[in-house]
Amino acid sequence: MARHVVAKLADFPPGTRKFIELENLSIGVFNIHGKFYALRNSCPHQSAPLCRGWVCGTLVATKAYEYVYAREDEIIKCPWHGWEFEIATGRSVFNPHKVRVRTYEVAVEPEEEDPSIPTFPVTVEDEFVVVYA
Amino acid sequence: MEESYPIIDCDIHQFLPNKEALYPYLSRARQLDMDQYGLRMPGNGGYLNGGDRGYRIDSWPDDGGRPCSTVEMLQTKHLDLYNIEYGLLLGQDLRGIPNMFDADFAADLSTAYNNWMIEHWLEHDDRLKGAAFVPTQDTALAVKEIERVGSHPDIVAVAGVNGVQFPYGKRFYDPIFAACEAYDLPFVIHTGGEGTFGQPTPAGYPTYYVEIRQARQMGYMAHLASMIFEGLFVRFPKLQVVFVEGGYTWLAPYLWKLDSDWRGLRRHTPWVELPPSEYILQHVKFTSQPIETSEKPRQLSTILEWSHAERTLLFASDYPHWDFDSPTNALPHMPEQMMRNVLSDTARELFHLPRRIEVEPVKAAD
Repeated sequence: MARHVVAKLADFPPGTRKFIELENLSIGVFNIHGKFYALRNSCPHQSAPLCRGWVCGTLVATKAYEYVYAREDEIIKCPWHGWEFEIATGRSVFNPHKVRVRTYEVAVEPEEEDPSIPTFPVTVEDEFVVVYA
Repeated sequence: MEESYPIIDCDIHQFLPNKEALYPYLSRARQLDMDQYGLRMPGNGGYLNGGDRGYRIDSWPDDGGRPCSTVEMLQTKHLDLYNIEYGLLLGQDLRGIPNMFDADFAADLSTAYNNWMIEHWLEHDDRLKGAAFVPTQDTALAVKEIERVGSHPDIVAVAGVNGVQFPYGKRFYDPIFAACEAYDLPFVIHTGGEGTFGQPTPAGYPTYYVEIRQARQMGYMAHLASMIFEGLFVRFPKLQVVFVEGGYTWLAPYLWKLDSDWRGLRRHTPWVELPPSEYILQHVKFTSQPIETSEKPRQLSTILEWSHAERTLLFASDYPHWDFDSPTNALPHMPEQMMRNVLSDTARELFHLPRRIEVEPVKAAD
């Protein structure tokens, strides 16, 4: 697993998303209310760019004719066919055990230090959002 | 898909940037009415749709415009991306023309739409071909429009809709099909209009969008039976018909049922000399999108074989609608010749399109 720097923390505010393009792999990284998530940017259905979809809630299963909108900002809806996935786990809403999208570990870390270069104390502004993929 | 073949996309929906785009092709009187009342397309029953207002979320441009409303948008977001050899334009905002109660306005809108499509789309990209809209609710006016645009080299079909007053085998439509035959234009029926002239299904009015989507094939089955048993293809032996976006996996069992029923009931319609399935194989095609997915992939491959997909199936993406099928990821495995036919060879022949992309011959081993 390699470490990929996505952006400076200060440049990645809540409610935004960024993309990293690796060889044969596109990953969408989300800042949702200050927590970071990373998902493979490819829907398991027809390879649509999943992470370009909507971050939203969903209608949870209820009794017939009852509508309960919940899980606000926990779901991503694919931009093509509307398949819904739980952002935190990559599991689909309609079949969580069989249909899922790969998730990646995200961390907020100081920049990796190059020991050959003298370093100075860092402040919080120097933190970076990184993805392990 | 292991190799890439040329792709002809038989269902693309191009949008008007705004209603005023039609004004150069309409009288002042029509413009004034449209200032106040818009396009006056019949309602859709208030059903929801998928995606973002019915279209792929990523098809909406960032500048606030409408999806697929310029040639450049269609080129960069679809045609170039998948190296589409040809795309058949089936319109968007005026697809309710055949369902309007005012046939004269429907005829004027047809003329305006066809002129707009020719001048703003077909003349700007050699890959684009169009289906002419005509007011099928008034056959004399429809024929007039076919005669007006039917010889245009980039008009390759006449468009119709599923939900109409009478099933298409009825003699009411004969003048339209005679004109289609005379101009060598397939009649391309798109879903839409179900419920405008009555109940959208024999079971009445469904509540949800996901239900009304299941009504499409009910209409198509009724049209097909009508066409066969009223002898439409006996009376118009060169006529070709395409059913767009109404599903496909129902076809094989339907062919079997038509043939089974015909054997004992043949004397009711003695002009139907051949088994019904034979007329379908000779005269009718279906577009692929939205292709059904089976429990196991090979089941879908098998049903394509049973449905004679090498003769009856045409690829369509339905761009930019939310239920778009990717040209490279939607279709199941199939033999190489069948794949080539589905992706482009059958459509190229049906619409008389010159080959634009050279390909290697099919390998003998397949």
